[in-house]
Amino acid sequence: MSTANTLRLYLTCIRNTLEAAMCLQNFPCQEVERHNKPEVELKTSPELLLNPVLICRNEAEKCLIETSINSIRISMKVKQADELENILAKKFLRFLSMRAEAFQVLRRKPVQGYDISFLITNYHCEDMHKHKLIDFIVQFMEDIDKEISELKLSVNTRGRLVATEFLKQFI
Amino acid sequence: MAFFSSGSRVLVEILTRMQSAERPMPVDHTFFEFGSIRYHVEASVSDPENVFLSISTPSLSHEAAAPSSSSAASRLPELTLQETRKTYGRFAEIVEPPREGYALTLKLNFSGLARPKDRVKAINQVSLLQSVVLSSQLKEMLGSLGSSPGTMRLVYNQREPFFVSRTADETINAIFPMRFRDDTDLAIATSFFQELQDVGNSFAWAPKCSWSPIPPPELRGEKVHHLTTNGGFVSFGVLSRHVRGKRAAKTAWILLNFQSYVKYHIKCTRSHVQSRMRERLETLTEAVQNARLRGTNSHDKKRASQVVKKRSSKRRLVSLAKASKKLHKGFRAVLDKIMKRLRQRIRVKGLDRLRRQFRCRCFAVPRLPAAPPRAHSRSRKAHRYHKLAE
Repeated sequence: MSTANTLRLYLTCIRNTLEAAMCLQNFPCQEVERHNKPEVELKTSPELLLNPVLICRNEAEKCLIETSINSIRISMKVKQADELENILAKKFLRFLSMRAEAFQVLRRKPVQGYDISFLITNYHCEDMHKHKLIDFIVQFMEDIDKEISELKLSVNTRGRLVATEFLKQFI
Repeated sequence: MAFFSSGSRVLVEILTRMQSAERPMPVDHTFFEFGSIRYHVEASVSDPENVFLSISTPSLSHEAAAPSSSSAASRLPELTLQETRKTYGRFAEIVEPPREGYALTLKLNFSGLARPKDRVKAINQVSLLQSVVLSSQLKEMLGSLGSSPGTMRLVYNQREPFFVSRTADETINAIFPMRFRDDTDLAIATSFFQELQDVGNSFAWAPKCSWSPIPPPELRGEKVHHLTTNGGFVSFGVLSRHVRGKRAAKTAWILLNFQSYVKYHIKCTRSHVQSRMRERLETLTEAVQNARLRGTNSHDKKRASQVVKKRSSKRRLVSLAKASKKLHKGFRAVLDKIMKRLRQRIRVKGLDRLRRQFRCRCFAVPRLPAAPPRAHSRSRKAHRYHKLAE
């Protein structure tokens, strides 16, 4: 099976899971009166949590979807084939995490073992189109992979050009 | 990409200004280049023809640099002085002893050069003084190695020493231990070294380049802390054709600045990556904004409508006068129509047909009586009123 095909299947699987999981409702906290907290983060009431779903493309690429009554947490691990990709992925995801307020649904700190995490609450679902939100998550995953590959390619191309220019000086 | 010119731009500017000045002016400038090369330019009004240029460069040999008590001039080897005399002999002479704190002092006199073209050429040549000094130093050191294989440690930048070794087949290897403080720098540099190695094979004229994470065999026996690196070792195999004649200075200059070149490349690549990430952030943020119920869509529409409104406002102003005229005419027309209708006779549907059908005297139109004579009317009138007095 080709790489593009596996990626499509992986993304379709995530999309379908998100569509099924994203039925959130307003639910006040059971521990603290007049508080409304994302249950997926607190995990104080097991009856409000659903079973987490782990979707793996391979060992390096996986997506964890944790659902609760009023919130959903999506954590991703991005592929990092070599040292350069690892550095670029870290750099890029850190760059995005630092600007989390621009995304609204992005978590500032990823869940342990993952590279980036999203937290969607019922308020986000009320404020946004559900299908567009899912589109965004899937597009984000696609774009991250693409961007890292492009960055790697551009760093290597630049390196090649600069090396050529350096050696041309001797001629 | 980075091109570290071996000529000093500041020196060219100062000397050109002095040459083009109408009146002789006193000059006393001290400046640094590349962090460690110090220049001093001096000229007096009383003797405007002679310009004193002093230069202080760090010694390439670490061992030689250590005893700093000796005068700076004594550090410059005889070969360097000979090379300087040979290059600048037409318009300069070496001042002995050099100015205090400097390795070499030249007395420049451009009056012998009549044509301005020659003067410009000479000034450009003077700006290359540091590369001449450094390359001749390098050459002298390599000569001291002799024909037997051996390795020498050179220090151009205090933090980044490098090694020069001569192999049995007369090849000079310049080996650079590469150290980086950051993982990102290291990743970018590693990619660059790999490309350099690949590209190097396709350039027949360029020195053979190789990169290895472990020290090459030439450095066997060197101190461990000199060989501790995180970026590996880059070595250039310099052949005799690269150091023949005028090429020697250029080759030496390129090799001396290799580490700076790599650092500049890393800096540029980092900024390139950063700008790409910023661009991508914008597109991703747009996707989230589009997902909002009262998000960018309506906002954009409002903006677009505002723009359209602004554009059309001018047109409207122009057409307003025309419209008012049309409106005036339209009002008139409407009023006229209404008046016409009011004045028209009331039509009864089918009345004409009925008239035609019953032309016989069934519907005789009553004839009005003829007008009575005036006198009769008077009597009637008289009858109408009661006479109250009767």
